[in-house]
Amino acid sequence: MSGIAAFSTLHAAGVDNTDSWHALTAGRSGLRPNALAWCELPCWLGEVAGVDDAALAPDLAEWDCRTHRLAWMALQRNGFHDAVRHAVARHGAHRVGVLLGSSTAGIRSTEVAYQRRLAEDRWPAEYDYRRTHALDALCRFSAEVLGTAGPMVTISTACSSSAKVFVMAQRWIDCGLIDAAVVGGVDSLCMSTLHGFNALQLLSSEACRPFDAARNGISIGEAAGYVLLERQPAQINFVGGGESSDAFHMSSPHPEGLGAQSAMRAALASAGLSRRDIGYVNAHGTATQANDRAEAAAMRAVFGADAVPVSSTKGITGHTLGAAGITEAIAVIQALAHQVLPPSANLGQIEADLGIDLLRQARSASLTHAMSNSFGFGGSNCSLVFGRTH
Amino acid sequence: MHFDLFAAGALAPGVASITDLLAMRRAGGSAEAANLELPSPQALPPNERRRASQVVRLTLACAEQALQASPFKADQLRMVFASDEGTGEVCQQMLQSLATTREVSPLVFHNSVHNAPSGYFSIGHQNRQSALSVSLGRESFASGLLCAVSEAQSSGQPVLFLSYDVPMPQPMRSLLRVEQPSATAWIVAAAGTVREHDPLASFELSLHAPHEAEPAAAAWLPATWADNPSAQGFVALAMLADGPAECDFPLGAQRLRLARVDGVARC
Repeated sequence: MSGIAAFSTLHAAGVDNTDSWHALTAGRSGLRPNALAWCELPCWLGEVAGVDDAALAPDLAEWDCRTHRLAWMALQRNGFHDAVRHAVARHGAHRVGVLLGSSTAGIRSTEVAYQRRLAEDRWPAEYDYRRTHALDALCRFSAEVLGTAGPMVTISTACSSSAKVFVMAQRWIDCGLIDAAVVGGVDSLCMSTLHGFNALQLLSSEACRPFDAARNGISIGEAAGYVLLERQPAQINFVGGGESSDAFHMSSPHPEGLGAQSAMRAALASAGLSRRDIGYVNAHGTATQANDRAEAAAMRAVFGADAVPVSSTKGITGHTLGAAGITEAIAVIQALAHQVLPPSANLGQIEADLGIDLLRQARSASLTHAMSNSFGFGGSNCSLVFGRTH
Repeated sequence: MHFDLFAAGALAPGVASITDLLAMRRAGGSAEAANLELPSPQALPPNERRRASQVVRLTLACAEQALQASPFKADQLRMVFASDEGTGEVCQQMLQSLATTREVSPLVFHNSVHNAPSGYFSIGHQNRQSALSVSLGRESFASGLLCAVSEAQSSGQPVLFLSYDVPMPQPMRSLLRVEQPSATAWIVAAAGTVREHDPLASFELSLHAPHEAEPAAAAWLPATWADNPSAQGFVALAMLADGPAECDFPLGAQRLRLARVDGVARC
């Protein structure tokens, strides 16, 4: 167990923690028809406002890229930077680790540079692969901004990346390597994922509708999120995580969600809880036909039919891929803090026979423990449990 | 953290096994290494073998070496895979498509994720354990080893750790200079958790304050891949021969120290 000392979330529907929570509970979607100048696909997107005009501090200019602008915005808001400064003062910089998730890191920088290279036959002089694309750049940039000196790792397991950071951070704390951890994740809009999911015919032509009978795919969003974990418990805590592999297919989930079931069961075991202790599940709920059916089957198998309130907040934020784990972990932390369960947005007719208690509207609840699910390509599954001390 | 190494693999031009690596270390160098032909992964279903990318061939072949000497079944091992960029020609193919036709092949896209090798390993061996795919750029070996050993420590279960780099074609190679593949595989468990099998060696892993000197390059490794981030794994495994009793690897603002603590050369 570790305490949640601070957090910061940023996505298409929320510029800060307060704005995000209002959007999540009102079911106010940040998804809009694609208006990107550099992508012609007829889909809806969760684009964060103001990224093009955001500026890093002048001494950080060499790190400038869309992913790091999102990171910078999240680090500067919600008092997060100050909270880490205090943790560094309390524990020592080398005792604060940085564990971040990303699927595509700064690949948008290389997409732009690659196109210019084709035209000019050389890489742009100002293009810096190491600082603006490489998977480790986000960790190094965040550590430089925050003044941490503890061990670092970028986890890149597609859409479970920034959920798995909690589990590894807990291991580093338990092994005595660190006393606090900055965990989180960032992914920005890029051609790779938009055209890649389009090739798999998984992009919805409308705002995504998780668990709706007429759902027809995902809406991609961008997001940045950070949580400061500390060894000492707080009012809200990370209490356990479970991981598994489907061992089934690179990009399709196991039809009965066998891997998802074992991740949820492992998370309960790690938290020392039974299924009856969980008062809310924030589903992975991507709005593809296959994912939502498999995840509903897995939740029925673990919790029983209609036994626990469920929502997917991806209709509001979009599927933020490598940042989905942290974005939805923070939604669960806020649900515990406010004692309110956020709904599934864009919902018309719920698919019959899913057997889940899907939230259409925000619901007040006496909530002590809640779960967040994240599943990714490669059959990579992670479930997290958070709890509140009453 | 005190851990035991139960089996290991090493694969790169000039190194076809851990035995080759230790012989190279003892000889203090090698002749010019020939190119490495990566085998089709026999663990995968036949329809996946032919289409397997270079990095999937590399990691599964290296893992296979360790599995052959492993006291644990392949489906019992937790997986921690570590690489700098980690996808090589797949990344290059996707960028080329995006900059020209914008028609990305579905196969290229799902192979472009950093965790494709661990995904294929889990499918090939029907392994349903936790799988992690990590990076810390040129320090990916140290960061990955720290993750693998702390996972072994907290879970009490054995972990398969893979550290690897795969060649990047031009034009990306001028940004990310990996010309030859290299990989090591480690099957580790926390000290004291496995009593029924003898380890190859025991190690202590710890974090320390930084020091001024850069780690010395391993002059005995073939120059075409000695600068790969994953070559650090070869330096570490060379402690199984007559190498130093400890090695330091940079890890952000600190250094990771790997010290051999059993003192007995069994290889």
